[in-house]
Amino acid sequence: MQNKNLKLKVKKIFIFILFFLLLFILFFYKTKKNYAQQFSLSLSPPLIETIIKPGKSILIAYTLINYGDPTILTAKVLPFEPKNNFGQIKIKEEFEGPIRFILDNANFNLGQDFFLKTNDREQILLRIRVPEKTPEGDYYYTLLVNSQPQLSQEEKSASFAKATIGSNILITVTQTGKIDIKPKIAIFDVLPRLRFSFLGKTINFFDSTDLIPLVLIVENKGNNLIKPEGNIILKGNLNEKAEFIILPQNILSQSQRLVSATPSATINCPSSSKINACKNPVSLIISGFFLGFYQLSTSLVFGENSPQISASTSFFAFPIKIFFALIFIILITIFIIRKFKDE
Amino acid sequence: MFFKIISLFIAIILLFFIIKSVFAINMESPIFKIQYGEVGIAGGKKSSTNYNISDTVGQTAAGQFNSNGYIVKAGFQYLYSIIPFRFSISNTNINFGTLVPNSPQTSTTNLTVSFGAAGQYQVTAIEEGKLRTFDEVNNIPDTQCDGGTNTCNENLAKPWTLNSAYGFGYNMSGDDIPSDFINNTYFRPFPNRLENESPSIIMTSTNVGKNRQSTMSFKVNISPIQPAGKYQTIINFVATPSF
Repeated sequence: MQNKNLKLKVKKIFIFILFFLLLFILFFYKTKKNYAQQFSLSLSPPLIETIIKPGKSILIAYTLINYGDPTILTAKVLPFEPKNNFGQIKIKEEFEGPIRFILDNANFNLGQDFFLKTNDREQILLRIRVPEKTPEGDYYYTLLVNSQPQLSQEEKSASFAKATIGSNILITVTQTGKIDIKPKIAIFDVLPRLRFSFLGKTINFFDSTDLIPLVLIVENKGNNLIKPEGNIILKGNLNEKAEFIILPQNILSQSQRLVSATPSATINCPSSSKINACKNPVSLIISGFFLGFYQLSTSLVFGENSPQISASTSFFAFPIKIFFALIFIILITIFIIRKFKDE
Repeated sequence: MFFKIISLFIAIILLFFIIKSVFAINMESPIFKIQYGEVGIAGGKKSSTNYNISDTVGQTAAGQFNSNGYIVKAGFQYLYSIIPFRFSISNTNINFGTLVPNSPQTSTTNLTVSFGAAGQYQVTAIEEGKLRTFDEVNNIPDTQCDGGTNTCNENLAKPWTLNSAYGFGYNMSGDDIPSDFINNTYFRPFPNRLENESPSIIMTSTNVGKNRQSTMSFKVNISPIQPAGKYQTIINFVATPSF
């Protein structure tokens, strides 16, 4: 009888320990780590392009998701302009232009605060209205959603991050649907290791093992954005050929843009790198073993019935590193042989 | 019997703890309901008699629809991005603690840009005024780094190693940062909106990028004559995709 009681007692203790262990594990499994105040927002779609007639309006549904801490947000629309040739933008401080934006959301409008919990999503219904008599041309805006910085009451010095995420809106206003296409290739050139003139011609020189960085900058002289389609073709002296497709990136009106092509080699650029391809952004980096004369050409079109524009450049490649290494080996060998002969 | 009850109890607890919640995507408000043809993030086609819209986001195919000569396209049609544009800041309260003269205080935050298969983006930063006291009487100047040949500005980082060089500035390390941040001793001052300066680009990529992360290190060093007080400012980060 006593033995039975003891057994039951041991069982109870065992179950208690098991239960305690389980709770302990669950505590560590479910307890979340305590992080600093975090901001994480996603906004899609990242880009809207529209060709629209004066007097019409469209409704765009954006999806905003908060992956960070609960936060108060505000949406607004501001115009932007291209900052440089590399697709970067400069957002203007104040709203301008004839296009009108309002939100069709029931609970908030542009410039008004709204709250978004962690992992919550909000659909932003942006209505874009082009008033009658809006002059034909392009208008560029960014939808911006920004957080409100949470200032601390603590007696400590600090800086507080206000975070904003944006999505660009490219609006082409046209009465007839006709687009003003006036493209020009501003630069189509390689960034060589050496460049020199010979008999009035410029010769670009690379080592055979070098990566070939190529720059293609297209200028848009028209009043509407254009999108290049085409390729870059590399032809060698032994009739070898490689083709690289150009990405149809937008070139805004009255601006230039470095156009990218794919596929291309990638290059790891440490901050101190002196490689040409690392100093400035390039359109294409071609890798391989090059020997002799090579010609690069490009031809671009900008949609149906648009003029085709083209350009070409060339370079010469020689295994100069291998050549000098061979000379060095030969000289060392001759030196050693002579030394042995003398002895 | 006792064992069975305990086992059942544990099983129920486990069930409630381990099973994760499932949420449905609710795409409606009291006045609108937008229907999507597929379960994706903002994917789908929207149309009316005046316009059509097609998204590449959340879809496997992109289209361009014409209706009466009007076109609306969404997303980067050539990239077929599935993941939307996302921007994260690991810590929005960058605390410097109690500032001590000639003893630089530093604090860091991580910036992350996720862009799926899509490409170009930029992140800019600007301060909404200098680090200053609440009454705006006293402020900490923006750093000029070590001075002399090592004088930095809003667009050029230079070494800031001297404890006798005072101010407020930042260093960048990681992906897609400006090339003038050669190492962790190189700093720049923030551009100041109150002085009509333009935001500085602190992260950018002209190539396709995914989950690009950088670390911003803030540094403050005050002089012995800096009046005591709580100095604060707001740094405005703006992340935008390209066009």
